[in-house]
Amino acid sequence: MATHIAPLRKLCRFLIEIGALHVLDGNDIHLSLKELYEKLSNGKSGCYWELFEVYKHLRSLGYVVGRHGIPWSVKGQHIKSGTCSLEGSQESNEMLEMEPKDENSVIELFNNMQITDVSPAFNVYLPNSKFRKSSPGDPSFVLYISRCSPPSRVEIEALERKHGAIPFKFCHVENGRVSFFSFAKTELPVLP
Amino acid sequence: MMPRWKGKGLQAKANADPMSKIVSQLQSSLIQFETRGLLSSCSVLVEVDAELADLLNRSCFGRPRITAQEDKQWFQLDMEEAFYLCFSLKCLKVIGEDGSIKSNEELWDYFKSKKLVFPVSYKVYSHLRHKNWVVRSGLQYGVDFVAYRHHPALVHSEYAVLALSEGDNDLNGRLRVWSDVHCTVRLCGSVAKTLLTVIVNSNNQGANSPSCLEHYTVEQRTITRWNPERSREDQTGPKNGTKKSTKHNDLAGTVKDKV
Repeated sequence: MATHIAPLRKLCRFLIEIGALHVLDGNDIHLSLKELYEKLSNGKSGCYWELFEVYKHLRSLGYVVGRHGIPWSVKGQHIKSGTCSLEGSQESNEMLEMEPKDENSVIELFNNMQITDVSPAFNVYLPNSKFRKSSPGDPSFVLYISRCSPPSRVEIEALERKHGAIPFKFCHVENGRVSFFSFAKTELPVLP
Repeated sequence: MMPRWKGKGLQAKANADPMSKIVSQLQSSLIQFETRGLLSSCSVLVEVDAELADLLNRSCFGRPRITAQEDKQWFQLDMEEAFYLCFSLKCLKVIGEDGSIKSNEELWDYFKSKKLVFPVSYKVYSHLRHKNWVVRSGLQYGVDFVAYRHHPALVHSEYAVLALSEGDNDLNGRLRVWSDVHCTVRLCGSVAKTLLTVIVNSNNQGANSPSCLEHYTVEQRTITRWNPERSREDQTGPKNGTKKSTKHNDLAGTVKDKV
């Protein structure tokens, strides 16, 4: 683990800065990109890449994206290891202050993340939703990343019971395309 | 998705002439004239006079066949349409090639032999028809049915319907892979329809006779594509942001409008 810390620090810095759309100087970008891509390809089940694509796609559009099940940090407070934090949108003033120990915990964002069709990946909040890390509220929707096949009715019903009023969507990543689908229960009305 | 009426005043016209009433009139007339259909491959042919022809057209059952005959008109009914008139509305009897009237069970077996998924597709057809939706073949859109709020002359169809079944004995292999989801949703969107899947659960009742149908349950789900580029500005409320998105974007599944 120790031998991985330095490149992973660079990795997470790059990830954060991609989220904030900062521009690094040429050398940094080049190195981080290569390391970034290597790390993402070698993750468990090789699934980091899809997670990263989705995360990047939504963040670049201004959405607030948090890892499902991981609490948001509060500015100025200690970040416990095993938790991760994501700063808000580019316009937000709540930028995460990066201490070395914080970088390690941010690694947790993608570390140990596996894409399974039944475990939710992200909580997503709409841009300009007055999101505050101190009280994020319910996400606009929970996002599942699908790898193999579309969800069955049984799977969808189980998720509806799990999430209650909070909607969820499925995301499919293939060939660099990120597509989002909703499977909403409905009942056609009886017409006169 | 809001219904798209084809012209001004047509919604009012539809409201003044409810489909349930038209179908009811059709049912009465078919019974009155003791109409008989002829079984022909995957269709049932019926010979009707002008009054019945008008009712068939207005209720959207069958397609008229162009013939040289002047006093009577021939209509060709799909299997689901014919079975609905026979079994659900009990207003039509079908004659086989031996000249005898087919029972519902015989018709059921016959249609199943022509179309393996007939029990599922019929359940979906009848479920929507019972709610007074007009249901027609959706073949040209790559789906099983299209559902209209009223006669197609008055309104565009809102839903492209796929009849799916649950479990391992699902003979309709649609939407099993993501590429099919992409393809079908895209096609539906390009013809301004929402993809509606109606999932039939046979509850282990099998399909030996039409009486199994009443034990089948159905669940309806819409499958829509969410476009994150278009949702960003929609801020009617943080909690339900996705459900209240603009009409160009997420065509949410809840149909709340009433005719």
